[in-house]
Amino acid sequence: MTDPGPPFGESVDSVVAALSGQHYVTERGLATAVYLAMRLEKPLLIEGEPGCGKTEIAKALSAASGGELIRLQCYEGLDAATALYEWDYPRQLLTIRLHERDRTTAQLETEIYTERFLLRRPLLRALEGKGPVRPVLLIDELDRADEEFEGLLLEVLSDFQVTVPEIGTIRAATIPLVILTSNRTRELGDAIKRRCLYAYIGYPSPEKEVEILRQKVPELSPHFAQEIAGFVGRLRARDDLAKRPGVAETLDWTAALLALRESSLRPETVEETLGLLLKDAHDLEAYRKERVAELLAAP
Amino acid sequence: MSSGPPPSLLESRLVTRVQGFLERLREEGLRAGVAAGVDLSRSLRALPLLDRNAFREACRATLPKSPSELAVVDRVFDEYFGSLDVPVPPPSEEGKVPHGRDRAGRAPSGPKGPTPDREEAEEELQGRYSPRAPPAVASRVPLASEKLRHYRAGARRFRRTVAALPGRRWRAHPVGSVDLRRTARASLRSAGEFVELARRNRAPRRADLVILWDVSGSMREHTPDLFGLVYALHRVVRRTRVFAFGHDIAEITPLLAGRSYERALPLLEDRLRSTGGGTRIAHCLSEFRRHHGSEVRRSSTLLVVSDGWDLGEPGELADQLRRLRGQAHRLVWVNPYAARTGFRPATAALRVAMPYVDLLASPEDFPTPHGPSGRFGGRIPGQRLRPVGSLIPRDVSGGSSP
Repeated sequence: MTDPGPPFGESVDSVVAALSGQHYVTERGLATAVYLAMRLEKPLLIEGEPGCGKTEIAKALSAASGGELIRLQCYEGLDAATALYEWDYPRQLLTIRLHERDRTTAQLETEIYTERFLLRRPLLRALEGKGPVRPVLLIDELDRADEEFEGLLLEVLSDFQVTVPEIGTIRAATIPLVILTSNRTRELGDAIKRRCLYAYIGYPSPEKEVEILRQKVPELSPHFAQEIAGFVGRLRARDDLAKRPGVAETLDWTAALLALRESSLRPETVEETLGLLLKDAHDLEAYRKERVAELLAAP
Repeated sequence: MSSGPPPSLLESRLVTRVQGFLERLREEGLRAGVAAGVDLSRSLRALPLLDRNAFREACRATLPKSPSELAVVDRVFDEYFGSLDVPVPPPSEEGKVPHGRDRAGRAPSGPKGPTPDREEAEEELQGRYSPRAPPAVASRVPLASEKLRHYRAGARRFRRTVAALPGRRWRAHPVGSVDLRRTARASLRSAGEFVELARRNRAPRRADLVILWDVSGSMREHTPDLFGLVYALHRVVRRTRVFAFGHDIAEITPLLAGRSYERALPLLEDRLRSTGGGTRIAHCLSEFRRHHGSEVRRSSTLLVVSDGWDLGEPGELADQLRRLRGQAHRLVWVNPYAARTGFRPATAALRVAMPYVDLLASPEDFPTPHGPSGRFGGRIPGQRLRPVGSLIPRDVSGGSSP
């Protein structure tokens, strides 16, 4: 029988082990921030480069803890009706029509503003979790949402409660583990940042990237993994890129190379598949054959 | 800090040390409030107190709220509690990540390049900010409050007509699609009868502005006016980030945030020093893209404030502008000479910039919207502004002023 290790969330080591069990390679600093977020029952704001594992950590935590993953993808124009709750207006209108003869207005109003007509959106669902395991609430790419939406989050994230004027205040019985992510396309408000713990995920070192590749793509040979991580590392170090490739791009590229039955980096294959690493037309245009060969030749 | 058992001697000492550490961080500009201190103290109860690394990680998780603050915490931690590692060099300028480090202030993870030779090192040293150089802000004499008011009014017009985009958020409006929610609510007032349909349409998106301000020597005489303009834009457009450039580029938004014009002016004067090596616009744009490029979005309006005197390669500048223009909503160039009679973009930098610029404006266009050169007076239809060609002669080969 294998040693199950320390229970999840009991220590920083247990977080590292649990994430590792989900093939998520983490540094101790990030694991400490996750552990503290669980212990202090505070949201964790994770910023960093795109494609470096911000969203992935929430998925890994959900899988490791067994808690439901509730995801709220942010975008401009996101509002309470999409994030928190909404009344089922068509059903309400239908009910009003059905009972307009036999009910008074006051009776109708009482009837249609009950939980039966409430459409629960991700934030409310996260607060209504009742099981022993904490749900994981992922509020993804918060920087894409409007500042007004941040104001809406304040009550949810500080008191873990939501006030529905017609019903009352709904408090979380089980405090969810809240992960907020941001790509820093804009600065988040001070009020929201004050309520969160903070972690930053940058690009991994080549050694760490090799480890990630080996965990995520077990069929990859150690030599090829090193070759790939080295090439991507050299590419990221270039100053003239509009968008540097993240870990997600490295994994996609690796999968493509394996699908093409490659076992080492050849200039022709690299050039043909460079679109999986570089997602900017100017970057792709700039990195043609000579420059790819130059990067491959570098030690 | 805790309502539990009385703290041990170790805990008492630690609390004193933590308070001193927080004060030191605040001196360094970190906005670590009482809540952050409480979070740190609670974290220390959950972690082994004598583990220095755990303590450091707790500080990193609870106190900073941005990559630049993370770098400050790392540096001050080593200074305050003593470093066990190789000391981290301080950032070259406030809020700016040192060269060769990532945003978190860590050394690059990729393979190390060759050590720069002496020639490169000398080249790097040329034209750095010199503490003995005269301040770029020529005079402490502030602008008249009336002029500032005009700048602010011009900035509002600019926000409305140039920087704004239609958003995705809905608002109640007499014209637009039917709003079921409000219609249902309104029907309750008339016993479920739909007397009138409530309507809604899209509210305009909040403007997002990035200002790149040339503070080199050739711009010095215009600095008071330009600072008035930059300050007004920063106050009016909530999402504004301001970067000052000459030989290098640095963000100066924190100097303006939450400060009155009178308080911000001397701070800026102390901070900005003219460069000895002249303006390198392309290099600065490249640095800007490298560190802040991802923050320029499709909704961002990019405002370059410069006279166009440049020591760099025009081709490189064109490349940088092309890339930035592709990322941003609009690119506006403010030239202090643009309102002069017979003005032609004669400098090499301006000539290569023109194809990528949506609007060439003068600072005078802001306070005088209804004057002969006012360009922000009315709404500008469509996504694209009046082409630059209609504002300046297409033949830009001649001309006497920059």
